[in-house]
Amino acid sequence: MIALRGVSKEFRDGGSAQRVLDGVDLDVAPGELVAVVGPSGSGKSTLLYIAGGLDAAFGGEASVAGRAWKGLGETERARLRGATVGFVFQSFNLLPTMSALDNVCLPAHFRDAPGSRAEVAARGRSALERVGLADKAHKSPSQLSGGERQRVAIARALFAEPRVLLADEPTGNLDEHTGAAVIATFGELARAGLAVMVVTHEQRVSSAASRVLHLEHGRLFA
Amino acid sequence: MRIAALVDLANRTLRADPRRALVDTVACCAGAAALVFFVALGLGTGDAVRRLFPGEARLVEVIPSGVSLGPVLGGARLDDVAVGRLRALRGVAAAYPKLNLRVPVTASRAPEGLGIYWPPNLALQVPSVGVPRELVADDLPKGAPFADPGPGGAIPVVLAKRLLEVYNGTIAPSWGSRRLPPGPALVGLQVPIQIGQSMLMYRTEKRVVEGRLVLAGFSDRVPLYQAALPIETVRRLHQEYGKTDEGYSSVAVFAREPDDVPSIAAAVRRMGFAVDQGERAVAERIGSVIALATAALSLLAVLMLALAALAVAQSLFATVRARAKELAVLRAVGASASDVRTMVLAEAALLGLFGGVLGAVVARLAALAADALLARMLPELPFLPETFFAFSWWVWMLGPLVSMAAALAGAVAPASLAARLDPARALA
Repeated sequence: MIALRGVSKEFRDGGSAQRVLDGVDLDVAPGELVAVVGPSGSGKSTLLYIAGGLDAAFGGEASVAGRAWKGLGETERARLRGATVGFVFQSFNLLPTMSALDNVCLPAHFRDAPGSRAEVAARGRSALERVGLADKAHKSPSQLSGGERQRVAIARALFAEPRVLLADEPTGNLDEHTGAAVIATFGELARAGLAVMVVTHEQRVSSAASRVLHLEHGRLFA
Repeated sequence: MRIAALVDLANRTLRADPRRALVDTVACCAGAAALVFFVALGLGTGDAVRRLFPGEARLVEVIPSGVSLGPVLGGARLDDVAVGRLRALRGVAAAYPKLNLRVPVTASRAPEGLGIYWPPNLALQVPSVGVPRELVADDLPKGAPFADPGPGGAIPVVLAKRLLEVYNGTIAPSWGSRRLPPGPALVGLQVPIQIGQSMLMYRTEKRVVEGRLVLAGFSDRVPLYQAALPIETVRRLHQEYGKTDEGYSSVAVFAREPDDVPSIAAAVRRMGFAVDQGERAVAERIGSVIALATAALSLLAVLMLALAALAVAQSLFATVRARAKELAVLRAVGASASDVRTMVLAEAALLGLFGGVLGAVVARLAALAADALLARMLPELPFLPETFFAFSWWVWMLGPLVSMAAALAGAVAPASLAARLDPARALA
């Protein structure tokens, strides 16, 4: 589902170049929860954004659901991302002016045929039900706890029924108990057939992962 | 991206920062209000001038040349032959001869049946011109006679529409007399006259007879200072009073299209005649001054709109930078760079639209206030319009359209910046 071949990435800082990814190969199959762990600044997030098509400037090959990101135009990349990839971020990144339900339904704004308003809302409620927040649909993010916000973010990632879920430090802002619940949710989603890739520097995510990979010096190790 | 989704997102963004939205809206509103106000003022005063000088765009008033070289070099006498040649000119639709009455006519009593005050010993000279019925036919009531009644008969007369306004605006108030009703109600009114009587004794004819004028209608084709009689009546009176034939006083030549007027005027001059610029030239000069003033004031308004565009640009730059992470999230959930650009432009368009609609309303209210103020400050004058502003549908549209255009112009660079943001870097 996710296939990375010889992926490399350099950041230029003034005159010098820093290689953060150096020929990374990775496959994440449907039903698999892969945890990529490593220290801060090791390039985990970069790897995630390349896998999800948010970063188009890299060496090597990256594809999702059988489609290579390279060679696609910017708009095609956005449409493929919207249809196949769901993102979850450390700081939730919910829009504060929207209710939980509206945040979940946000991806519908960028679809060519999202369906009627009622259909969109029904799908949003269904996504909230999957994360156990059906009763918080009309709450604003400021009225939700950290764990609830992250679950709303997961529901938003699930709205488009993606085949791939990419999470960037999803438990970084959560307490141990809430973080464990979120990790358990990822495990359930993987068992439901999604290809889930979580990048984190926390070892506790490893317990729920089917595979744990370490990113060091731009390379992945089992 | 669908329009409804675009408007929804733009609306939410604006509501998230109402203070910024308000400042930008006010900036757009001020520019739009100024532009709408000045354009409406220019159009309104232009309309007032056109009412004061209702010259027809297709009319060329031909008069004998002041310096005539005689008929050998083209002929300066306006006779039937000349009228025929004028009718034959390219682009001419019709030509109507006019003949000034050289027999003095004086009114020294009030029109019958109106009961209006007439100052004692007041005698009014009635400058008259003979015209063919066709010239004023469109302004006459259906079937109304406009032909020579013969000796002793009531002579039909057509007056300038503006004469009634002059009377109601100046004469009636100064005499303490009541105002006259609208033109059609006065048709059939009879005025006693003395034919041959002049206010200047030496011009009074040896033979003075009582007569009467009967009002046949009002027309913009009759000069303000003249009464139009049937041309046959003028010819008969000239014959009765032994006035020699000196040709027509002028010929009203109507072009098929206004664009034909310059070439017709040139041809007329080549024939040895002159073109009476008269009221039209005055109207054109005043119109030019108004157009120039309107353009200058509109330029000021455009500068205000440019400042509004700068204000929108500045605030959108700030907001795009502040919302970099939010925009990156939108990209992550499926928005393309183009969607993000369109969103920022939509925000600006909404601001411009609100500001423009508000500006048009503010301009209308300011115009009403200005009219009320002018009505109190200006003395009662004829032709004083009820309003100095003309708010046609396109003037109303002008506010929102230019305001949106200004806001969009200001948003182009910030929208481009938003589209160029690297989502991966913004999220990191």
